[in-house]
Amino acid sequence: MRLPPIVRLIVRNFASNLDPLTIIIRFGQPAVTIIVLGTMFSSIISSSVTGGASYTAFLVPGMVAFQMITGGVVSGNLFWLDRRWSMVEQVFSGPFLRSEYLAGLVLTSLLFSLVGVGIMMLVGLPFIGIPALSALGVLAVLLTVALGSVFFASLLIAIGLQLRSANAYFSIQSFLQLFVIFLSTVYYPVTPKTPKVLAAVFYANPLTYAANTIRDAFAGTLGPSDLVSLGILGLLAAVTFGVAAWAFRRMDLGPIQ
Amino acid sequence: MPSDDLVLETHDLGYSYAPGRYAIRHLSVGLRHGEVLGLLGRNGAGKTTTVRLLTTLLAPTEGSATVLGYDIRSGGRALRAHLGVVLQSESLDFVSVERNLTLYGFLWGVPREVSKSRAEEMIELFELESARKRKPWALSGGERRRFQVARELMHPMEILFLDEPTVGLDAIARRRILRYLKERARGGLSIVFTTHILHEADLLCDRIAVLHLGQLIALDTAEGLKAKHSGAREVAVTFAAALPGALRAELVRELALRGATILEPEEALSTSLDRISFRAEGAEELLPWLSQWAHTRSLGIERMSIEEATLESAFLGMIGEQDDRGGGRGKEGERPENLLSGGRAGGLS
Repeated sequence: MRLPPIVRLIVRNFASNLDPLTIIIRFGQPAVTIIVLGTMFSSIISSSVTGGASYTAFLVPGMVAFQMITGGVVSGNLFWLDRRWSMVEQVFSGPFLRSEYLAGLVLTSLLFSLVGVGIMMLVGLPFIGIPALSALGVLAVLLTVALGSVFFASLLIAIGLQLRSANAYFSIQSFLQLFVIFLSTVYYPVTPKTPKVLAAVFYANPLTYAANTIRDAFAGTLGPSDLVSLGILGLLAAVTFGVAAWAFRRMDLGPIQ
Repeated sequence: MPSDDLVLETHDLGYSYAPGRYAIRHLSVGLRHGEVLGLLGRNGAGKTTTVRLLTTLLAPTEGSATVLGYDIRSGGRALRAHLGVVLQSESLDFVSVERNLTLYGFLWGVPREVSKSRAEEMIELFELESARKRKPWALSGGERRRFQVARELMHPMEILFLDEPTVGLDAIARRRILRYLKERARGGLSIVFTTHILHEADLLCDRIAVLHLGQLIALDTAEGLKAKHSGAREVAVTFAAALPGALRAELVRELALRGATILEPEEALSTSLDRISFRAEGAEELLPWLSQWAHTRSLGIERMSIEEATLESAFLGMIGEQDDRGGGRGKEGERPENLLSGGRAGGLS
């Protein structure tokens, strides 16, 4: 039986571009962050700052949220390499639609993010025990990471479509990654003492909404604000995916460096 | 030729990359079932654009084309499912050569077992055994090109587009690939083939379309192109006995009247010699006349040789003719006369 084109594209994305070293680094980095940063900061940061939990318990949901960036980066890089090595053109000359290729990339990102969620939870388990996740909480975590992953994947693909230089693409991607992570609540909460401007920037960052929602899901305190967060993430994901799809239709298949 | 024998037809096909600026224009050409059609032209002549249009990678801005009965504007996936395309640019996945082949087979929905045995066949055919476990970027340029052609042959197809598939290949690998393609064509595969190696086009192609500055300037068999466009060629004639001075002078006069240029020193023209050599346009047409002239004068001809016409000389002749006419890239409103005749010669019904 022949698999649907989109499934074949996803399998190809995983098989062709994800070497073991890349996978280890992509998942190893946040895992090491949980272990090292969690252990070190737990002893010096008061639990009153992190809502009564240890710093590690605060950090683990943040690292789970971070997986949406990991997945997005994987797709962005996949797309860039496919363009660089003319595989986009080669795939388009076969029995595939552009929309299928784009959806394949985004779904690859989503799957990668969800695998990351599982790994982060496993790494965090010895430090924070089994989180108080209800069925709704699990759904909220998965939906949050899925939407965030679609957002970042689409954003990086849309950026990749506008650039013709690998240097430019990877510099922007690194800068964006750094900016998005450090200006979010992944590592620290927004408190009343946070400068107003910085707090505004934090709340303009989709990763903040993702981290807060996942943290609430872990703590079993999901509320209406999380529904709003999910709505914002969903809207951002839809808009960036729309932009990426629009740019995809107009994609110039010419050479890039 | 019946129209239903054509697997590909274009009518006034054109692509404009900016208002009034055309990469290709007024292209009317047909491809028969099991035929190998060569696209020749200088860099920028429009060969790659033509391949990209016919494989739906680019949308035409004018004219129409059908490939296997599908309109190239709307055929999309259904059309591409029947094509094989080796693009000019190198494309590869970041896995070993062997895995690249099977992965490409998987991408095309080729059953696993078929894909594995096909990969083995391709590895042997394209001499990739030593490269089997290596990543494509670690291969030499020639190996990479062989790999790329091999990969495309992993799936079934009805038309194969090859955009300069033999760049960087050594003579033996090139010949091997050409022989294989010829066999596949005999088996019914239709092939569109672009190259700058004219000898290769001569060996492989049933017909050749010559593009120049985005326009089709000739479409014929290699022999037809050579006969029509090779320009002046050298002829050497050796008579059975020396020609008396008067006869020799008469022959020189008659040849000059027919546009030939005698290639011997002037002082030798009136002396008694058994040979003469000259250069003339359409030299082959002078040979029957020369035989007749000798026969009516009871002169025996011992040997007559004519410089071989090559596709290269024909190609240079064609491009030269176009440049002499001041032909430029297709602009708004232009429609060169020879274009349509070229297209019709291609058998469009």
